[in-house]
This record gives sequence, C-alpha cells and structure tokens, in this order.
Amino acid sequence: MGRPMVLKSLNMVVSGVGGQGLITLASLLAGSAVESGTKALVAETHGLSQRGGSVEVHVRLGDVIAPLVPKGGADLILGLELIETSRTAYYLKENGCILTSDMLLRPGIPNVKMPKREELINFLKKVTDKVYVVPASEMAEKVGGSIFINSVMLGALAATGLLNGLVDINILEKNVRGLRMGEKNLEAFKLGFDYCSRGRCSCR
Amino acid sequence: MSRILGKEGSEVLLLGNEAIARGAIEAGIGFASAYPGTPSTEIVETLAGVAKKLGIYVEWSANEKVALEAAYAASLSGVRALAAMKHVGLNVAADAFMSIAYTGVRSGLLIISAEDPSMWSSQNEQDNRYYGLLAKVPVFEPYTPQEAKDMALYAFDFSEKFEHPVLMTPTTRVSHTRGPVRLGRLRNPTRKGFFKRDIERFTLIPAHARVRRKILVEKWERITDAVSDVPFNRIEGDGKTLIVASGISYAYVREVLNLMKLNDVRLLKLGTPVPLPRGLALKALDGVERVLVVEELEPVVEMQLKALANEEGFSVKVHGKDYVGYEGEMTLERAYSAISEFLGLGRGTPWKPSKASLEEVPELPPRPPAMCPGCPHRATFYVLRRAVNSLRLKPVYSGDIGCYALGVMPPFQQQDIILEMGGSVGTANGFGQVLEGQIPIAIIGDSTFFHAGLPALVNAVYNRSPMLVLVMDNRVTAMTGEQPDPGTGLNAVGEPAPAIKIEEVAKGIGVEKVVVFDPYDTKEAFKALREALEYIIKERKPAVAVAKRACALLIDRMARRRGIRTPKYQVKLDACTACGVCYNAFTCPAISVRDDGKAYILEDLCTGCGVCAQICPFNAIVKVEEGDKEWEDLWF
Repeated sequence: MGRPMVLKSLNMVVSGVGGQGLITLASLLAGSAVESGTKALVAETHGLSQRGGSVEVHVRLGDVIAPLVPKGGADLILGLELIETSRTAYYLKENGCILTSDMLLRPGIPNVKMPKREELINFLKKVTDKVYVVPASEMAEKVGGSIFINSVMLGALAATGLLNGLVDINILEKNVRGLRMGEKNLEAFKLGFDYCSRGRCSCR
Repeated sequence: MSRILGKEGSEVLLLGNEAIARGAIEAGIGFASAYPGTPSTEIVETLAGVAKKLGIYVEWSANEKVALEAAYAASLSGVRALAAMKHVGLNVAADAFMSIAYTGVRSGLLIISAEDPSMWSSQNEQDNRYYGLLAKVPVFEPYTPQEAKDMALYAFDFSEKFEHPVLMTPTTRVSHTRGPVRLGRLRNPTRKGFFKRDIERFTLIPAHARVRRKILVEKWERITDAVSDVPFNRIEGDGKTLIVASGISYAYVREVLNLMKLNDVRLLKLGTPVPLPRGLALKALDGVERVLVVEELEPVVEMQLKALANEEGFSVKVHGKDYVGYEGEMTLERAYSAISEFLGLGRGTPWKPSKASLEEVPELPPRPPAMCPGCPHRATFYVLRRAVNSLRLKPVYSGDIGCYALGVMPPFQQQDIILEMGGSVGTANGFGQVLEGQIPIAIIGDSTFFHAGLPALVNAVYNRSPMLVLVMDNRVTAMTGEQPDPGTGLNAVGEPAPAIKIEEVAKGIGVEKVVVFDPYDTKEAFKALREALEYIIKERKPAVAVAKRACALLIDRMARRRGIRTPKYQVKLDACTACGVCYNAFTCPAISVRDDGKAYILEDLCTGCGVCAQICPFNAIVKVEEGDKEWEDLWF
C-alpha cells in the first residue's frame, strides 16, 4: 500500500428514499468535517422528501464554494437504495466510486414494474469499475431494523479511505454515538465499517 | 438547539435558515412571526425552539399578511422584529408590504422571503427582488449560511438607520444548505415596547400618503447611495471583463473562475441586488470592454445595470439572461457554460457523466412523494371517490396547497386545479355558479383553511354557491413539518392554546350542512360524505365536511419515541386473492407485493391505522396484535 492520498475536496451525492435518514447521515458527516476543521456544505431538497419520494443530498467537503455537485462531477455516489443509486449514477465522474446498500424498495404507486436487483447492479458496473454493494439490509436488520441502514452505509464510507485528511473518523464515531439510539447506530456503523475495511471497498 | 445559542467565536454547521435565526438573535430581536412554507420554515421554527430560553415572542401566524402586520407593529413599538415566509407568501403579505414602505419603521424590521428557483416545493419561481423595486425596499441576497447570518444581523441595523423595512431573499440553496458558521456575540433582546403615536406618519389617508410618498422617494435615493458601502458588496480582481454575480450565483461564479484559472476578470459580487449599489457599480463598469450578469430567476440586476450604463453614457453592452437563461436554479455547469460561451471559449464544461450512466439506464420506476403510511388523507380520498360514484356525480376537484395535493398522483387523481393557498374554495365559488351537471368539491387542509380558505367560504355562503368544502383536518400544518395551527390546541412554543374548531367556524358563518367524520372509519366517512353531497344537490347551497384525524407521521413518531406499541396487521395469504386493491387502488406504502401478486405488510412502515383491513374485499387483512392503550390517546 502506497502513501495514502489525501483529496483536496470530496464531492458526493447521497441518494435514497425519503425517510431513510439521508439528511441525518449527511449532516452528521458534514458536522464531523467541520469539527475536524474541514469546510463542508450539504445541500438538501426536502419539504416533499419526507413523503417517501426520491431524495438526493449533495455533500461537498474541503476546498469548495458552491453547494451543488455538477453532473459528472461526483467522486462518490453513496446510495441507500438500489433504484435511487441507479437514478443518480449520472452524477458520477469517470472512474468514480459507487457505494450502495442492497436495499430495494417498491415505490408506493400503482402497477409498478420493479427492476431486478441484478439488472441494477450490472448497470452500475457499466458506469464504473468501482461498485461496492453493501449487504446493508441484513446488517441493519441484525441491529434492529431498516432505519439503521444510514449508519451502516456511513460506516462503509468511513472505511473507503475517501474521508482521509477531511474527516477525523474518531469524531465521526463520537457523533454517531450521539444520535438517538446511539449505541445501536454505532453498532450499525461498525458493521458497515468492518465490511468495507482492509481495502474491500477501495475507492482510491 | 444548543448549536443555535453556541458561544461567540465558535464555528458550527448550521442550516442557512438556522443561521438567519442566529443572526436575528445576535441582533437582539424580541418578536418573530411566520406562516410555515418551504424553504423558509426553519427560521421561525428555530426561534420558537429557543424562545422561552431567550424570553422572546415567537408565533405561527394564521397567514403571511398577519405575520408581517404583527411584526410591523412590534417594530413601531420599539421591538426588533422579523417576519418570515416563502416567496409566494409575500404575495399574501404584499398589501401590507407596499404600505409599510410608505410609513417606514422604527426598530429594525426584517422581512424574509425564501425564494425557490427550480420550484422544489412551490407552484412558481417568482423573483421577489422585484417586490423590492416595486415597493422601494432594499433587498439583501446572501450566498452562504455564514453570510445569511451576518446579513440578518446587519439588516437590523440598516433598517433602523433608515427607519425602513429590509427584505432578505435567500434561495433554496442558501436556506436549505448546511455550512460552517462562525458565531457572533449574543445580544439581550428587547421584548416589550411602547407605541408613540405619530398620526401623520402612520395613518395612510391620502393626504398623509402623499407626504409619505415624497419622503419614500428621497429615502430611496439615500439608500441607493448607502448600499455601495454594505460589506456584502465588493469588487474582486481586475481586468477588461466584468462579471456581476448576485446572491448564491456568486458562489458558483467564484468557483468557476477559480477552476478556469482566470485572473483577468473583474468580479462584482452583490449582496444587495436592490437597489443596485450605484457608486460601486460605476466603479466596476469603469474601463471594462464586456459585461456579463449572472443571477438566478429574473434579470433584476441586469436591468438596473443596463439602465445605469445607459444613463452614465457607457457604451459597453451588458449581457446576462442571453447567456445564463431564466429557468431553474444556478448550477456549476450552468455558470461554467455561460461564462465559457461569453468569453468565446464554447459552451462545454469540464464535467462528464459516463456514457453508460446516461445511455444504459434500466427502466426505473418513478418515485414521486406519496402520502405516508397511515395518512388519513389517503383514506378520505379513497372513500370520497366511492361516495361521489355512488351518487353518479361528475365532480370538479379544486385542490389546494398541502400534503393532500399529493391526491393529484395516481391512483387518486382527485385534484383538477391546484393554484395557491385557499384557491380550492375560491375557485369552487365560480364553478358553483356556472357548472351544470358537475359539482365542485373543494379540498383544503386545516391550516390552509384558516390561512385563506375562510373568506372564500364566507363568499360561498353569502352568494349561495353550491359546493362541497372538504376540510382534511389533520390537526397541524403537516407538509412543512407538523407545525401547530389555529386548530391544533398548541402555540408555536408548545404551550396550550385555544383550538378553533373548523366545524364551528363553518356553522358560525352560516353553513347549514356541516358533517364531521373520522377517515379511519370508512363506513362512517362514506355516510357523512354522501349526506353532504345529497344536501348540495337538493338545496344548491354550500356544505362543509371535516375529515378529522391527526397526521399519522406525527403520531407514529410520537409513538416510536415514547415506546408505545401500535396495532399490528398481517395479510392472511390463504384469503388474499392478489386482487391488488390494497397496493394498486389504495397504495399504502406499507403494503408491498410478493412475486405471486399477493400482498404483505412492511412492519417497519405500518402505523396500524387499520384502513386496509376495512377496504380489503376479501377480509384478508387482519389485526394480529392490539396496540398499547396509550396509542389511542396520542391522537388528538
């Protein structure tokens, strides 16, 4: 392993379904960045997002001024649900990284034609070589339910190395513990972290 | 909430709206009022959360006009005041806004209109900086949460200095962006005041208004001079090319210029687009050969700059919307491509999505926002359709602004018009008078009813317009995050308040047929709706139906937080025929489909409302576990 490269900035798009805790995840990450002395911007579009719709949250860390990530400009797509990960894949820059939960949620509309899991994963693999599908549903279930998927994925992100030099992982962990049901969230965080540790989700 | 009261000098991550609230606290405000509306809501919500601690007064007002009038009165009495609203809210408050400019104010008055380019949660993307030009009220437009906080603080001093209101117009990407904010000193608020009369100034009868008009014009000249010294306006860099960027557009332009490594550009950053700071703009124009204005929405700065250049004899051509375009919010791509083209470098940008991500996307089902699991509105829509069909009526559904606007989506599609707050009952008045063979059904929420539905209902009674006014009373302003409203029984800071009953209001203004029902009881709901509809057909007068059941999201959250168990339902697979009524016609998000078409309930999402068990034609959905007794008591 060579010298760890530190990014000057990190552009990510967090996507998922309203109610999955995307804003909690993004604010916690950005708050930890600011505590670590890194500039952070989180742009969210809610109002309607709470009502089970598609949500995307833009997180920019480091040397940045404007809040939105350009299409084709994201270093990382952090997906909490496979359809939504696929829907936001065009934000990724070439050779960027996709870290997604394996969760698949049926939209609450009539006569839905659901895509197959494999079909979505195959598509993501065409977008970039660096696709990591985290078995987050099972991990979250183990901790206490699907509401912990966000913490699993935050843990997975922390293990990719992308946050090096931008966010202090100890501060991040401390803030995860500070959430409501902190110990459970931390447990979820660690499951995600362990899954992606030792270079298994290498985004570099 | 402690972050909001963080100590001087510390740096914390704040939402733009929280930063505005902090700025107001640093300015020592004693009064804040608002009607909730995305993306403005968190400003006053944040202040409400710390109101008791700070000893300041904070209210959710019945509408934006009342919010502004109340804040104005506080200012006249020597208390610094803030009124917040979403951009379209200023339309409602415009009558007061225009006249406040005539009388001016005493203590600082900050009016915040949160703009929504791209219409993330709005029916239009009007540019309220025009209101500043219209009324002669200076407009402050921040570009980050930090600047939003600093501006809010500054605006109070500015307002007081000129005895004039200030309008601040953060856009969605400022209001709803979280960013680092360095906190300033907290000031002790002034909460109580004294009104000193000044009849010639504050009573706008024509004779007084004429005098005030003259004063306003003079004041506007002084303000136009003064804004050149506002610290949120500045010139950066130098060159023969001038780019002017207002508000959040500055963030995008600055980043693009850094990326392009362009060092020979003069950048005029504007924090006060209205009035255009004359002195500073002249300095910026001096000696440049080309000018591009980058701003969201309308060419408010561009137009003023063109006028100024013309007046002062500059021959340089001012560009703007011809490169930047009108619709939607600013993005890096848009700023890059406009600047690049303007400089003659082509329209490209350095960012490229992979080919596969654009061309090989599998067919993805849309995921529009939907009514939540257990939402009482879903049950009401479902039953309403059946009641209407049972009488073979041809309905015209005039809808309104709130969660029930989601009734426009399939499978319900029970909204034929959605215009603005209160528009459901207003338009039903016209429909009621002209339609033959069709019946107007106005669908409005409790908060929206109090906001602007009430005068329209008075009109319907007075002019005998046949219509059903269906109030979907979920006891709160749900869409914006369950703020209490005049019917809730709580005020903004969580204290008990009188709960105004919509059914009694309706009876009080002379509606003769008023029915109230619980949408969770589908039989009772059907009966009540039929009764009201039959009355309208027979009597040709308005009737009111109130569907009363609290927002399920709110109750479910309370239940989870307090560890109260909700009733549990399951699908009996041997009884389920895979007919799809529950997931295709009722579409509760807590009901999913197995590969064989039979339904199953997602326990994580189910709130235990039990409506699906009532509508299942095969009685295949059954209660398998009772909820705690306390669960019933949560509903109010």
